[in-house]
Amino acid sequence: MPLGAAPLDDVADRLAAILAGPSGVVADGDDGDLIIDGDLTPRLLTPAATPASEVWAIDGGQALVRDARCLQVYVVRAGRCCFVDRVATVEDEGELRAHLVGTGQRGIELARVDGGLHLPANTAVDINLLRERVEWDGIERTLGEASPGALVLVDGDLRPDPRLPLAWVTELLADATDRGITVVGVTKHTSLSRGGAPLIGQLEREADVSLGARSRWWAPIGHSDARSQVPFTVVAARLDPDAAYSFRLDIAIGVDPEVAIAQVACVSDDAAFPGYPYPLTVADRLAACPPWLREEAWMTLEEQLRMAGIPGDVLHRAFDDRHRSMERAS
Amino acid sequence: MTSSTHTRGRLYGKNVLEGTFRAAPDDDLFLGELLVAIDEATGRRYLFRVVDVTYGHEHREPGWAERVAGTLLGDDVRDTPGAHPLYEQERRTYRVADCRCLGYLTPDGQVFRKPKSLPTQFSRVVSPEAADLAFLERSMGDMHVGVLRTGETTVNVPVGISGDALAKHIGVFATTGMGKSNLMMVLAAAAMQANGRYGLLIIDPHGEYRTELARHPWAERRLRTYSSVKAPGTSALRVSLGEMTSDDLRTATGDTSRAQTEALFELERFYASQYPGISWLLPFSQLDDLVGFRDVDLGRSVALSTLQVLHRRARRICNLDAISADGDVSVASAIERDLREGKVVLIDASGLDSTEELLVASFLTRRVLEAWQQAFLDDRDAHAGMPTVAVVLEEAQRVLSKAADADVNVFPRVAREGRKFKVGLVAVTQQPKLVDPELLSQFNTFFILGLADERDRNILKGSAKQDLSSLNTEIQTLMPGECLLAGVDTPFAVPATIHLWRDALRAAVPPPEPRPVAAANVAAMLD
Repeated sequence: MPLGAAPLDDVADRLAAILAGPSGVVADGDDGDLIIDGDLTPRLLTPAATPASEVWAIDGGQALVRDARCLQVYVVRAGRCCFVDRVATVEDEGELRAHLVGTGQRGIELARVDGGLHLPANTAVDINLLRERVEWDGIERTLGEASPGALVLVDGDLRPDPRLPLAWVTELLADATDRGITVVGVTKHTSLSRGGAPLIGQLEREADVSLGARSRWWAPIGHSDARSQVPFTVVAARLDPDAAYSFRLDIAIGVDPEVAIAQVACVSDDAAFPGYPYPLTVADRLAACPPWLREEAWMTLEEQLRMAGIPGDVLHRAFDDRHRSMERAS
Repeated sequence: MTSSTHTRGRLYGKNVLEGTFRAAPDDDLFLGELLVAIDEATGRRYLFRVVDVTYGHEHREPGWAERVAGTLLGDDVRDTPGAHPLYEQERRTYRVADCRCLGYLTPDGQVFRKPKSLPTQFSRVVSPEAADLAFLERSMGDMHVGVLRTGETTVNVPVGISGDALAKHIGVFATTGMGKSNLMMVLAAAAMQANGRYGLLIIDPHGEYRTELARHPWAERRLRTYSSVKAPGTSALRVSLGEMTSDDLRTATGDTSRAQTEALFELERFYASQYPGISWLLPFSQLDDLVGFRDVDLGRSVALSTLQVLHRRARRICNLDAISADGDVSVASAIERDLREGKVVLIDASGLDSTEELLVASFLTRRVLEAWQQAFLDDRDAHAGMPTVAVVLEEAQRVLSKAADADVNVFPRVAREGRKFKVGLVAVTQQPKLVDPELLSQFNTFFILGLADERDRNILKGSAKQDLSSLNTEIQTLMPGECLLAGVDTPFAVPATIHLWRDALRAAVPPPEPRPVAAANVAAMLD
């Protein structure tokens, strides 16, 4: 069957139509069951007079060490940090966990990540699950260590991978709220949209007009459907007058969103990244799995495989990056 | 010095000759600072000199630092300083010091060797301990002029030269106000205190040293001042026209036109057979009928205007109190004797103009060179016992330029041959670029006190006996009284702060009292 034409002009026309005006249905492409009931009206945000006694941040990191297509070696970890009075008191890169994913490995890997969650035996194991699991493990440990009154920041939304037990995460967040701990997820780049156009960008423009270009603001967007999801409230917020961007914030249910955002704003004043919570940048750095780490992991593996009698050429045939080799060849 | 236990940084990059280390963002690193990298693996202690300091930060994004600065600046503009703190600045930002590796101390701390190996990466960098710099004292000679400087801090390690280095020629390079007069006085004091081992003949065109040097406790025994103007405590400077040669005259008038040079030849040809030296200047200066002299005696071979210029100059020279036609009143012999006794001879030439000053300087230099040369030829042992002497000449580029380098000029001769006879030059100049590079290469010791002109710095780089290639910025940023001492005897270009003259005076220990002469034991003789 012949393909129809797909010129750039056509894409430009459609994009222009989408981006032209703030109208249409609000939706979240990644979270279909998000209930949009906020008024979407930006309102002034005042940072809390004093920051939370402890500000924790958690982020997950991952790296594909080697890929044989039918088999992949991954490393994942969750970086955590804690700031008290703007000073880091905890910096934890997290245990580097190695996983072999692929044909015939699901059972073993599932057992390794289960940790008492009783994951169904048919649960698919991929890097998303591995990363989410280690992240939520980091969140669980953090909530165990955090003091009442603490603010716990999570990189991304508070919607766990659907393979993780909803009840476990819900209970985690509910316990935290009960103990006076505020959990907030911060999403840098969200799929929230209005009329198909990025919602946050539209709100930024509206706030510029209604509140001024250098205003801090927040706008209620909606909440998760507690029947099928972890309960949390979703807002958009610009956390600093110099912020280049606004973000989606997910706030665990039971916490006053305005109070929570005001606390987040308190730690979003770093001169290098105004408007983004600084502890999250530290957690990101701690969790990152840079290329050298990837290579170090592979060298360790390689050494052990050689000691196990696996010839070098077998390894090369299995794990050589053929795409890259062919690119070099061209 | 701060304690060596305090880590200043960690070495992480570069090569055998250079090092780069990371320091805390608030570490106040200075250009020229000396630091030690401790190689725990080998026990060696590598000595580094900071040649540049730059900012560094952990962030990989392009423009990170500019963005932070922009945010902070925005806060300032809005009068809300502090609105955006930089979290964990001490971790996220740092300083990077580029260093030149000067060498390393062997594990026993006894030998300092040139760099030929890399210290272990990430070696700890600390401030030097006294023991790290003790080796320097062995190469700092017996004429101390200052103390070691590391950055802006001085260290109690004396800096100076060996008196023998005087014969290997010394260049003092500085722009106005950088402290060269102070250095010369301190050097003169060191020569006096050497108690006869070294002599200095200082030609002082401005008369700036006379009063000060006379205050030194060793001056009474070791300083003789000859002045072209009447001044207390000085002897009258009198040299004889008959002693001076036409070469001295040509050296002094080196900047004359070709016509004047040829006219001088004509005059010499006319007078030479009747008058010794340049004493013919006297009858020439007394001529009334210059036109007739030119037409008749010189056969109109010289333009009248040229002759008139030379006539005026001759009259001025002959009218000077310092110049005499009478050979008996010359102090040249006394000056030579003073120098043979290892004294500092100060020639206060403040009453002379530049040509006359050079005339006297050329004559005295020639006299000293020939005397020491003759002694060398006559009796090597006796010559070996003679003090090393050096002629100190200000604005030395006048006689050491390529244009001035002629057979008649005694100063290039001293630069090339003087070492063998223990006669050296101390050439002081603001413009080393005007000195003949070939002559400059004869100078084994440089005192560099700050030069603003890049061409001056470049010419020194090419001639110094130590590598100055990475010290451009440091030379540019030298403060008055700070210098780099680079010589064949120094292990590297040594940063120093020259003693202030008033401090040197205060600290000078007076010479020991002469031993009383024991009364003759006549009774013993009778017995």
